[in-house]
Amino acid sequence: MSEIQQLNRTILLCRDYVSAVVSDDCICQSLQSVRVLCVADAANLSSHSGQSCLTTLVSLLSRIGMQLTLRIPEISMIRRQPPFRGTRLRDSLLASSSNLVVGATVQEETSKLEPDLVFVLGDSAIEERSCPTWRLSGSEWQGAITQAAARAPQWTVEWPIGAMTSAVLAAGEAFKYVMRRFPLRSKDDRVFFEPSSDSKWNFGSITLPARKLELGEVDIVSAGAISQAALYVLLRLPQLRMAGRIFDDDTTSLTNLNRNMLTLVGDAGSEKVQLVTDRCAPEIHLTPKYQRFSAESPDGRQMAPYVLVGVDDIPSRWQVQRCTSGSLVVSGTSHFGISSSCHGPGEPCCGCLHPMDDLGGPTAIPTVSFISFWAGLAMAVRLIRRAVGASYSLDRQHLWLTPLRMDQPHAAVWSPVAPRKDCPVQCLAVSELVSSGAFASPPR
Amino acid sequence: METAVEKKFAVEIIYNGITKKLQVEPEEQVTAALQRAIAEFHITQNPHLLSLFRQDGSVVPENESVERAGLKPGEILLLRPNAVKGGDGLPRLASDILQRTFSTLRECGRGECECAVYWIGPSESNAVNGVEHPIHRRSPFGYDIDDHWLTDFWKRLATAKHSVKAQVHTHPGEAFHSATDDKWPIVSQEGFMSIVIPDFATGEISLENAWVGRLGGDGKWRRLGSPEQAIGLA
Repeated sequence: MSEIQQLNRTILLCRDYVSAVVSDDCICQSLQSVRVLCVADAANLSSHSGQSCLTTLVSLLSRIGMQLTLRIPEISMIRRQPPFRGTRLRDSLLASSSNLVVGATVQEETSKLEPDLVFVLGDSAIEERSCPTWRLSGSEWQGAITQAAARAPQWTVEWPIGAMTSAVLAAGEAFKYVMRRFPLRSKDDRVFFEPSSDSKWNFGSITLPARKLELGEVDIVSAGAISQAALYVLLRLPQLRMAGRIFDDDTTSLTNLNRNMLTLVGDAGSEKVQLVTDRCAPEIHLTPKYQRFSAESPDGRQMAPYVLVGVDDIPSRWQVQRCTSGSLVVSGTSHFGISSSCHGPGEPCCGCLHPMDDLGGPTAIPTVSFISFWAGLAMAVRLIRRAVGASYSLDRQHLWLTPLRMDQPHAAVWSPVAPRKDCPVQCLAVSELVSSGAFASPPR
Repeated sequence: METAVEKKFAVEIIYNGITKKLQVEPEEQVTAALQRAIAEFHITQNPHLLSLFRQDGSVVPENESVERAGLKPGEILLLRPNAVKGGDGLPRLASDILQRTFSTLRECGRGECECAVYWIGPSESNAVNGVEHPIHRRSPFGYDIDDHWLTDFWKRLATAKHSVKAQVHTHPGEAFHSATDDKWPIVSQEGFMSIVIPDFATGEISLENAWVGRLGGDGKWRRLGSPEQAIGLA
């Protein structure tokens, strides 16, 4: 098995900026050479949020290919943490060594070998280090990373969205650390990979039902990276109830391991829908549909009230939108950017937001674990908010996020979605504007 | 006395979270400002997909002047793709497409004449599920498609809601895109794919030695690094 093959898409993303004098082998080796120490004490791991933060961090870093060392006590898992198996947290993480990506090891801290990077959960104790060190902290809906010297609160909450947010912020810093080692095509591009000493992201607090979080039926189109990231998040939400169908006609390949959060090395060759269905059970009951989504099939004509779309093909998004009478949540990635949006009945649709097919590009898509995960995380949050009647306002219908420099004021840009006269879906929002004469002049 | 009025002003461009100022002039075309923004950020990956977006989510029209587009000093514009792709997957050929393509090219060309086929599939997907063999005149040095057949072909595609995904033709020896190939593709749309198979398709049934390229937004053909970059083979 070729390790470079597993990291192919990550290497491709690095190629956006890395000089041509650096070979793919060299990029691969650099990714794999990074040693990361993850530190957490029993207090910070005694909450579901703390445990979710650690498992997500380990998964995201391993899928970049890095070598992880854990300084954590053994502790029982409060909830299942798929795809990690078992009921003991440390054992389970150690067992994932070379199982998320071959060659990405997870070991107990035994030697005094100096790590390249250190991540510390909450207020866990850590000795002074010369290498870059961040603390991961947050609350139910907000995640943050800060320099190690700063004070950070202990992880205590149950709701884990903020915890997974802090983990993905940390993974981004680890990736930038590798990028800073390479000669870039332009020295001006270094600004994208400068470390963020402190950064945070807040999805915004909402009130959740006191008991069950009942989502009902949710259909998912694509079982690829973004859908898997969204399901990875949903699986960790306490008291969540949902069922539905998942459509995809693809099988798992080695090049998926760098970002497919529910996938293990041994899954290569398996149908993605079956793999995802198995990993999500019993918390989420999915019916696998090993087929490409088609608006003309009986399945396509009866969509669930909520539909998640992580499919790459833009005309397919239009097809799903046409079949959806409820709410559609769409996420996608483009290099270092993520796009996330929600389209309810009567609102400008995904055709208004993505009116053009990417004719230039049936090419291998460059991406990395933390970018795809942000897309899935944003998708899961939008679904939850929509389901509990707390959707983002229409001026936040679209989020464009570039999570390289989360310390910058414009890392995230929220915007409304403008209805377009040339919307390929010709959604209700557009039809109403056309009939009202609002499109008398050409749309912008 | 005449006073020179400074018309230039700066807008702020955001890319990858970083903000840079860009000087623009009212008479300047937005497309020129866009190209300078792309150059300022040294973007080489799919620059043709990028557009400038206002904070209200609308795209700044590229065929207008800066003034007519309504850009204002200090306005914040987001530089991002106009088409955002998702997670996995390449458009895939149905499992028999390559075999059928080679069979047709071999039978018609008989190892001595050029031949062409068109890959077709549903308009709203990237799937290729059919191979169309046109009526054509052939020779060792080229082929000419019959006009009547072509008219009928377009009608059939429209009825079936299908489109041409790629043109595939053979060369006597080496695979390359000739000046004629550059000039006369069946579809002159950005992103259209052309494939040239060497040795009249008498070799192995594979695209390994083929020339595979796409038509760029600037009207130029670009060869792709490998067939896997362009086509998903089932």
